[in-house]
Amino acid sequence: MTKLAVALAVLVLVLAAAADADEAPISGTVKAVDGAAQTLTLNVTAKGKTREVVVHMKPGAKVVKFTRATEPGKTGFVEQEVALADVKPGWIVSATTKHEGNREVAEVVNVVLER
Amino acid sequence: MRTRPAWIIGGAAVMLAFGAWIVMPTVGRADPNGETHEDDKGGHAHVPAPLEYADAHVPLSVWTDTAMIARGKEIYATKCAVCHGDAGDGKGPAGVALPLKPPDLRDKAGVAEMRDNYWFWRVSEGGQAEPFKAKGSAMPPWKADLSVKDRWAVMAYQHTFSGHSGPHVPSEHPESVQVGRDIYAMACVMCHGADGKGDGSVGGTLAPRRAPQPRDFTQSEFKFRSTPSGRLPTTADLFRTVTEGVRASGGPLTFGLRGYRIMPAFRHMPEAQRLELIEYVKSLNSAFWTRLGTSTEPRSIETIKIPPSPPPTPERIVRGKQLYADAECLACHGERGRGDGPSAPTLKDNRQLPIEATDLTKPARFKNGSRPEDLYRTLMTGLAGTPMPSYGDALEPEQAWDLVYYVLSLSGDRRRAADAR
Repeated sequence: MTKLAVALAVLVLVLAAAADADEAPISGTVKAVDGAAQTLTLNVTAKGKTREVVVHMKPGAKVVKFTRATEPGKTGFVEQEVALADVKPGWIVSATTKHEGNREVAEVVNVVLER
Repeated sequence: MRTRPAWIIGGAAVMLAFGAWIVMPTVGRADPNGETHEDDKGGHAHVPAPLEYADAHVPLSVWTDTAMIARGKEIYATKCAVCHGDAGDGKGPAGVALPLKPPDLRDKAGVAEMRDNYWFWRVSEGGQAEPFKAKGSAMPPWKADLSVKDRWAVMAYQHTFSGHSGPHVPSEHPESVQVGRDIYAMACVMCHGADGKGDGSVGGTLAPRRAPQPRDFTQSEFKFRSTPSGRLPTTADLFRTVTEGVRASGGPLTFGLRGYRIMPAFRHMPEAQRLELIEYVKSLNSAFWTRLGTSTEPRSIETIKIPPSPPPTPERIVRGKQLYADAECLACHGERGRGDGPSAPTLKDNRQLPIEATDLTKPARFKNGSRPEDLYRTLMTGLAGTPMPSYGDALEPEQAWDLVYYVLSLSGDRRRAADAR
């Protein structure tokens, strides 16, 4: 019985690791925004190759940018949500995306630079 | 039944290995091509700044100028801290999710290895420059948004994170030129000496008791430059010399060098290594930094502009012949350009060593190159430390081209003069 429990625990760990492995950080320049489809098309470069990656926004996902805290006595940055429709081509963004089926799905997209 | 525990342990090990394999980043997913985020130091990579940024050194006083550092702090807070973090730890809120993490600027060793021109290049071009672009750097280029002084200010402020308080130069951080020093030790030390004073054990035997002798890098006299007379060369000038070598007659020890050279051409050395080598050579002479002025009064490096070469017409060559006589070129180079002018036997360099007047009928032996633009540059800058003067103040560009094409015509290869365009 103990051996079975150990084997099951190992199996759970492996499956958890596999689930975690489906996540990967990504950054790139926004090429297009599709509000209807809730997608961002990014130009992403890695290992010498540039390709387009379509990031699908998960239901309830948000785009955030970081601004300086304005409250007295507070320093650092605060998160500020941005509507997907307000994201402009040329902005640099990053996200941690999950591979679901053939799609890259994000829950949060961070704005690195607006330009 | 007694083997069951072994089976379970073995099975668990296989499953763990399988899990580890899955956890490893794979190719072709959200992180294209499987970027492995190998850089704990973020986007920092040990590559030399490219030639166009190689002279972008920072005036020494920038690093300790409190006004500059304060200005840098303001800019950093608004433009950089979101990724690099308020503390310079590379953990700004927008930086933590990046595939290629910003470097930790508090890392003394990592910062010490970054040369100032590399730093300026990174701030200016961001992740748009290779190899950072290929690694997927999200760093924006700031050259369009920040003036040169503002970029210096940001660097000066970032520099404070490392805890180093002096100027960020190779004399303070010898590790920043370690690669170049190693290359120098293998390729240059025999002639130029351990301290770069041109006193290597072999150097003096290449052309015994006569010029040319190996360059003393600790002095500010360099023959082959695109800068006005009396100035230090640009990095591109040094790169050209390292790449092409130096043509001149030498003693028996130079017989193995190809193409009538006294200094070998290092064109087969990878470009990055040549740049590293030159960074070390520059580190031997602080004048490469002091020539840039101060944070409040910066000076740019003046170079001779070489206009596009005009057509080598017969009229131009006739005019060049007259200039050749008027400028008294024939006193050293001789009437037919064979290096046998009346002054030739008495010529000495600034070390009082006998020096040959170049035989202008043999372009392959021109020390500073034989392309029309090479001759133009030689005429306008002169060759420091030799009797060859600068004609930069005496000749108009058109006149210089006349003289260039006349000199090329002396080789008897008129097609070369014509094709040289």
